Amino acid sequence: MGLRDRVRFLRNMPGWRASFNPWILRIPNNPERVAFVLHRITGIGLILVLFLHIFVTGTPARAGWEEWIAEIERARGFSPTTIYFFIFAGMAIFHGLNGIRLLLVEFLGWGVGRPEKPKPPYISATMKAPQRTLLYIVFALWIILWMIAGYIIFW
Amino acid sequence: MMPGYSRIQLWQYITALLLVFLLAWHFAMRIPWIRDVTSFIDTLSPSKVYEDVGGLSGILALLLAYTALFHGLNGLRGILYEWRQGEGWRRLVNALVVVLFVVFAGLATYTVVGITEPSEVTG
Repeated sequence: MGLRDRVRFLRNMPGWRASFNPWILRIPNNPERVAFVLHRITGIGLILVLFLHIFVTGTPARAGWEEWIAEIERARGFSPTTIYFFIFAGMAIFHGLNGIRLLLVEFLGWGVGRPEKPKPPYISATMKAPQRTLLYIVFALWIILWMIAGYIIFW
Repeated sequence: MMPGYSRIQLWQYITALLLVFLLAWHFAMRIPWIRDVTSFIDTLSPSKVYEDVGGLSGILALLLAYTALFHGLNGLRGILYEWRQGEGWRRLVNALVVVLFVVFAGLATYTVVGITEPSEVTG
């Protein structure tokens, strides 16, 4: 089945699955879609973590410093709290780095390439533009910074 | 900008840019060698936390909380709009987002304003 056939049979509104399945469009070599889905998943994760974070950091004001000290003593070393911080850091680092890319690409129109006449094999100018390189830089930096964050959190 | 058009996406970009700097500062405050302590968990000791929310740092912490809540809730609103359409759904989502913002912005404010200086024993 060719690419055109697969796109034709895609439902108009795939619903919530479109937010979580990077391969719903089944277009090969489409890291932008992977970035979109990761941005969305980390975004949803971060808003939930933000609610929890605001509630937990209110402990000194709500229950006093003794309760706060007890909480941080329980969190030492390899604990559920430090694992939570590690996951939180990973989500925030990816969302932030990809967010900077989106600001450059969507808001400032940087690196999207110039329109050109469609010629076989019909690769969009955007897919060959610097934004694609920027996307790979985002993925690489994400892994490096997340590992550094892990070292700091568990060290 | 044409009259009658929403500027909320512009604010989504402005808050995104603000969050890059505010979160970088927030994360930097958790790096042990910047805070002159031995581990990540020690950056959460009462004296260090009090430093983070006192004076100018407290204003930055509140700005971070409000900005993150706006950006996050507006993002969530966009996802919910894509998921389902209709006037009733739009009103429900908007109401939910406003309520969540008010509740958690209030909690964040209380966290900063209601905090007391740790004593010698606890600090």
